[in-house]
Amino acid sequence: MSPHLPALPVVVPLLSALLITILGWSNRRLPFPIALVALTAGLLSALGLMKDVLARGVIGYNMGGWDPPWGIAYRVDHLNALVLVVVMAAALIGLIATRDRVKAEFEDRIVPFYTLFVLFVTGLSGILLTGDAFNLYVLLEIASLTGYALIGLGEGRAPLAGLNYILMGTIGASFYLLGVGYLYLMTGTLNMVDLAARLPGLYDSHVVALAFFICLTGLFVKMAFFPVHVWLPNAYSNASSAAGILIAPLTTKVMIYVMIRITLTVFTPDYAFDVLDIGDAVVWLSVIAIVMGSVFALAQNRLKRILSYIVVAEVGYMVGGFWLGNRAGITGSILHIVNDAAMTLCVFLAAGALLTRVPGDRLIHLQGLFRKMPVSMAALVVGGLSIIGAPPTCGFFSKWYLISGGIDAGHYGFVAALLFSSLVNVALFFRVFEIAYYEPFGADHGHDPRAHGASGREDAPAAMLAPLVVVAVLLVALGLYSGDLVSAIIQHAIPARII
Amino acid sequence: MKLVALASALLCGTILLFGTAEFPDFGDPDSPAASHVSPRYIEEAMAETSAPNIVTAVLADYRGFDTLFETAVVFSAAMACFFLLRIFGEDERRPSEKLYRHLPTGITLRIDPGGKVPDSPEFERIDGIWIPHDVIVKTTTRLIIPFIQLFGLYVIAHGHHSPGGGFQGGVILGASVILYAISQNLRQALGRMGEAVSAVFCAAGVFIYAGAGALCLLMGANFLDYSGLAPLFGVDAIQARSLGILVVEIGVGLAVMSAMVWIYYNLASMGRHQEGL
Repeated sequence: MSPHLPALPVVVPLLSALLITILGWSNRRLPFPIALVALTAGLLSALGLMKDVLARGVIGYNMGGWDPPWGIAYRVDHLNALVLVVVMAAALIGLIATRDRVKAEFEDRIVPFYTLFVLFVTGLSGILLTGDAFNLYVLLEIASLTGYALIGLGEGRAPLAGLNYILMGTIGASFYLLGVGYLYLMTGTLNMVDLAARLPGLYDSHVVALAFFICLTGLFVKMAFFPVHVWLPNAYSNASSAAGILIAPLTTKVMIYVMIRITLTVFTPDYAFDVLDIGDAVVWLSVIAIVMGSVFALAQNRLKRILSYIVVAEVGYMVGGFWLGNRAGITGSILHIVNDAAMTLCVFLAAGALLTRVPGDRLIHLQGLFRKMPVSMAALVVGGLSIIGAPPTCGFFSKWYLISGGIDAGHYGFVAALLFSSLVNVALFFRVFEIAYYEPFGADHGHDPRAHGASGREDAPAAMLAPLVVVAVLLVALGLYSGDLVSAIIQHAIPARII
Repeated sequence: MKLVALASALLCGTILLFGTAEFPDFGDPDSPAASHVSPRYIEEAMAETSAPNIVTAVLADYRGFDTLFETAVVFSAAMACFFLLRIFGEDERRPSEKLYRHLPTGITLRIDPGGKVPDSPEFERIDGIWIPHDVIVKTTTRLIIPFIQLFGLYVIAHGHHSPGGGFQGGVILGASVILYAISQNLRQALGRMGEAVSAVFCAAGVFIYAGAGALCLLMGANFLDYSGLAPLFGVDAIQARSLGILVVEIGVGLAVMSAMVWIYYNLASMGRHQEGL
């Protein structure tokens, strides 16, 4: 394959985002096709990278032709190639599925919407590929800024949610930057591999420990780890449904990748798990995150808010699984990045599909929807089963790895939290299904009976249903092939010293 | 709640201060930051990039990829402002009457809907009853603005040799347009540099930068490796790096200037592009 492949997943979307503005300003039909081509090319180059990595191992790419640590280098290994494929695929599916929603919700803002969204994906893929700690921050800024804007424009309380997101997100990003600054002060380099080579001599330095904690805290804010999750539920549930579908599956997952990358590649597992020995404490934090996320989800009466709090609990899964520090836990955590992206996309997409036909996402609005929108509801069921962790959906397998990781580590609190959260999810989703299946379709709940007939079948538009069905099938396929996924890719993403 | 916030802020500050105790001394020539990566920049930058200003060499060449995305951040910010703030269409809170000022006398005319619009260069359309009209301010700024813009171009072009470059020069150029909008009025500024122009120039500026990088790809070099452009410029690889830096600085200048102006338009008029500050 071309030696320049690692640059393409960033360069092509960046150029396309600019073209959307330059060409789309005078022709409003162009933004969507350009975005489609950009993300398709991004997905193809991500798949190409994956293939190269499987064949040849780690790939490096020097931006500007300067060797690291003087220039900025990209470094592609199994971990970021996998997450890149997931991000590109989720973005592409979301883009196709939300086409009509975007047209309806942002009719006079098509150009900025697609420009910002493609820039958002550019930022995320850059975060994934980069091997430079400061470059990661710059791309994080791109992804965050565009994310704030996309979240902030919506009905009702969306601008307020966007403002809170900006405030917290900026604090999180600044913490990360401060941590990188401390590292530069102590080592004189920003390249991740070079940092990893120079840090072992400084393991007893307080500044390095502080840098690690500051970075980690910043990333916790960005990934919405309880108790610094407060921006997420409002941001994701109040955003326009198009923005929610596009952003919810991606941001938190990429931030968890960054945590794994910083811990494993920059600071090395020796430092994080042995020298600092904070694994146990972070797992307990994630136990709290899982329990509280689930409890808060139970207290909600709007579908999108329930889903948002489930995301908060899922972040706890991944953080906790990783900090167990054993092979099964980290495998579960990485597998869950993949699965959670697909699950979140599925349920938010299903919620978006429902919202095309019902006036709101309160649970009371869902009455009788199985009869009215069978396909959308079926997809929501698959997504719900996967979040619960029922076989053969993919959610079962990552939860299996996470639980066995917890047992290996002897951390029964984490195991209990996972089981508790599964039970809560059962209660949550079956309440939704019950309302949608058994309760009669009420004309007095904001529906206009003349619009669709008393029991008329009126599912979401096909343009939205087709991607939704694809994602739902993908959830099962990911589950069936998760063994291959783990043995072919994820096992190579974890350093050999972790057992 | 406030006490909790205060306590956590103090705790955070204390921990950060505590960390500074182990910092290398200020200006210590043996500190890691001064002895690991930096020496190559200081010793080799001129020979490798032909840019006498080391800061420019690091910014636009060694770490040019960061700077590309810093420019993209500026573009994203401007685009986000436009996305969130812009309100299209007529302002329903305002009457649909039109206001004109008779320039020689300063008298404001109000034309009701359907009324005859004055057709003479002596009349100027304005957005509000009270738009200040000050001959001294207008004339002074008219005299100053060309020199500001000339200086902005100098700062962009001279980034190789002195402090300056695309970001600084772009801000100066943007400030000249904003000064024009403040001293005249928003409508006139929009007439000189419209919204579409600012938006497209802003994207085009970043596109020049990213496109220069992509051109290197097409020439077979790595992304943003300007030495690959040597055959196009007809110079050797080192000189090509220097010229590449100039190209991307121009792109940065264009993007930053347009972003400043575009953000000003949307912020100053709360997205309506009428009246302004």
